[in-house]
Amino acid sequence: MKKSKFRRALAVLSAAALTATFTAGCGKEDDSADTVKVGLLHSLTGSMAISEKSVRDAEVLAIEEINAAGGVNGKQIVYVEEDGASEPSTFATKAEKLVDSEGVATIFGCWTSSSRKAVKPIVEEYDALLWYPVQYEGMESSSNIVYTGAAPNQQIVPAIDYLIEQGYTKFFLLGSDYVFPRTANMIINAQVANAGLEVVGEEYADMDQTDFAAIIAKIEAAQPDVIINTLNGTGNVSFFKQMSEKNYTSKEYMTMSFSIAEEEVATIGSDILQGHMVSWNYYQTTDTAKNSEFVSAYKEKYGEDRVTSDPAEAAYDAVYLWKAACEKAGSFEVDDVIAAIEAGDISYDAPEGMVTIKGDNHHLVKPVRIGQVGADGLINEIFSTDPVDPDPYLSTYDWAVKAGIQPLE
Amino acid sequence: MKLLKKQGDNICFAVIVIILALMPVFLKAGLLSGSSTVLFLGKCISFAIVAIGLDLIWGYTGILSLGHGLYFALGGYAMAMYLKLQETGGKITDFMHVGGLEELPLIWKPFNSFPLTLILIVLVPALAAYIIGYFIFKNRVKGVYFSIISQALTWAAYSIFIALSPYTNGNVGITEIKTIFGSIKGEAHQAEMFKLFYLALIILVLIYALAKFLVSRKFGKLLIAIRDGENRTYFSGYKVSAYKTFIYVLSAVIAGIAGAVFVNFNGSITPSQMTISYSITMVIWVAVGGRGTIIGAVIGAFLINLCEYNLSSGSMVEIWQYIIGAVFCVVIIFFKGGIVGIVKEQLPALIRKIKGKPAETAAKEVS
Repeated sequence: MKKSKFRRALAVLSAAALTATFTAGCGKEDDSADTVKVGLLHSLTGSMAISEKSVRDAEVLAIEEINAAGGVNGKQIVYVEEDGASEPSTFATKAEKLVDSEGVATIFGCWTSSSRKAVKPIVEEYDALLWYPVQYEGMESSSNIVYTGAAPNQQIVPAIDYLIEQGYTKFFLLGSDYVFPRTANMIINAQVANAGLEVVGEEYADMDQTDFAAIIAKIEAAQPDVIINTLNGTGNVSFFKQMSEKNYTSKEYMTMSFSIAEEEVATIGSDILQGHMVSWNYYQTTDTAKNSEFVSAYKEKYGEDRVTSDPAEAAYDAVYLWKAACEKAGSFEVDDVIAAIEAGDISYDAPEGMVTIKGDNHHLVKPVRIGQVGADGLINEIFSTDPVDPDPYLSTYDWAVKAGIQPLE
Repeated sequence: MKLLKKQGDNICFAVIVIILALMPVFLKAGLLSGSSTVLFLGKCISFAIVAIGLDLIWGYTGILSLGHGLYFALGGYAMAMYLKLQETGGKITDFMHVGGLEELPLIWKPFNSFPLTLILIVLVPALAAYIIGYFIFKNRVKGVYFSIISQALTWAAYSIFIALSPYTNGNVGITEIKTIFGSIKGEAHQAEMFKLFYLALIILVLIYALAKFLVSRKFGKLLIAIRDGENRTYFSGYKVSAYKTFIYVLSAVIAGIAGAVFVNFNGSITPSQMTISYSITMVIWVAVGGRGTIIGAVIGAFLINLCEYNLSSGSMVEIWQYIIGAVFCVVIIFFKGGIVGIVKEQLPALIRKIKGKPAETAAKEVS
């Protein structure tokens, strides 16, 4: 008799728990007249948290600045944060929650290509808008995404051009085993072959590989002039530490890296990385008036020891570009905002210089900067270009078209 | 009353199913904030299914598999490959093109056919589990050694899936797919979404019924006998390895089916579904819910996922993992029977104590 009560209690308890969690999920939608809701979707836990936190911090900074200056279309921005937990499926689930349950006007989010690819069908099917702030491998142009990081022809292609100009002839490609390095190396192979030069080796490391002895041996055997490095995350730390243990510096083996920004230099150590080259669109040292404002605001809010980096700057730009698009559209409706973006000329005087959204492919026109790591851990610009038009499919490059690296459709 | 006592688990399950079945009605009535909640519950249903499979081998048979993500992902990939080919019309996909393939690889060809896909969703995990289980259990590998092997195999499979990127799209996985009923997103496709949701719910009920049926027979008693005294069961003349292999294969098949359901709601499958950490998460659902009860697995899967879904946003966004971690620790250390154990054992014991003593002393004890 007694027990049966508790069985029933069990049923009631679990039912109550279930309904409680639902109702917690569906908070009252208070569409008050003077605010607009946006979503921030980054990994705040898990292996990507270290990188994505700086991006999210830059977005929060931009939102607070805009609110202090009077908001967008007279409305204050409220942001809802969701944790993608470094897991693509969680990103998809949370993106759906943001656009459908929370009804946000737009999402600023993602870092890895796999998280972007998981979110892409969601924003397309719900007709929502995602601002993606990281340089990536290209070969994509969704009408529901704005890519504020570099397309391959704004980072990879000019960097290789620069190396060729500098007289490097033997290239060694080293990357983590995922879509960005694989696609980047496919592009580089075509580009180097077109210049009549040689790729002397191509190696991929597991995402969390820490032992690079075998790869270093292959590099020694191949004798390249320059290593094109697309390693990501912890792989970089191990690779460069093990290179320096063998007393290899940038004099013996020069490297050109696409995923090492100021934050990574701080983790790996500027003594090890000194003299190595990187390619981005922005550095903390970039000399514009807007940038000194941005860097000091960032440091004031988050601490003197924090550094700004290309992805953080691109995320900061994203919020301001969204503001500009909403103001031009005179509305927060996704369709109107996309129409305003596609009409062209949405631009923002960013820390990296003037950036403009190309209406036809949703990427930014931005300058390219080759940098060299200095002894103080900052990256100094050694070469820069005028703003470059984005070409995510590399369709204006004959060698790329000939190599057939474009996707099918 | 006796019936109620005996059927408590089933009544609790029925309540959960009824609440779930009413979700689309709640949505129509405007009580839910959006169809994304229903879609998320669809994913939870698939988690509950895989948890039932895990409870069969861990809760009842004492085999702790830390690699069930492998079977979950195998079923998921099979379904995703079919759905992807539906999208491309049987042609090769972009990632195959990038990987240098000219035509559809042989292993993708069977997934053009829906019946064949359904068979493979069951067959592939079953075969993988049979090969693994046959050798491991025949050699009487058990306990922690089995757990380690299951982890290693999952890790190996994960590496293979990443390395074979022309065939599997590496760590991006298979994305941009719809469901077996076509698109389910947005207002216009609500009917399809409900269809899919109820289909998933029916699968959950069937799997639950199958698990309950098995454990209520002599077969279930044998599983418990193996768990509590494997050698004694051997000496009683039972072929323990055959029983273990069978239940392991069955649990892998259930995981595969769960994966196939999951893909429909999730719209993509990535190798992160077959990582060790994902597999361990599944074990935690069962542990928190209460192992060896079936219903505990279902409750655990729903409760933990709903908590994660709602806690990992807004103001809790950076600390939610600590909260959930703390709950795990408390449950594992103090309540071995999980939530079901609390309701079945601890609470009655507490109340007996209170009733058996004068009201004052009892109150003291509680505080």
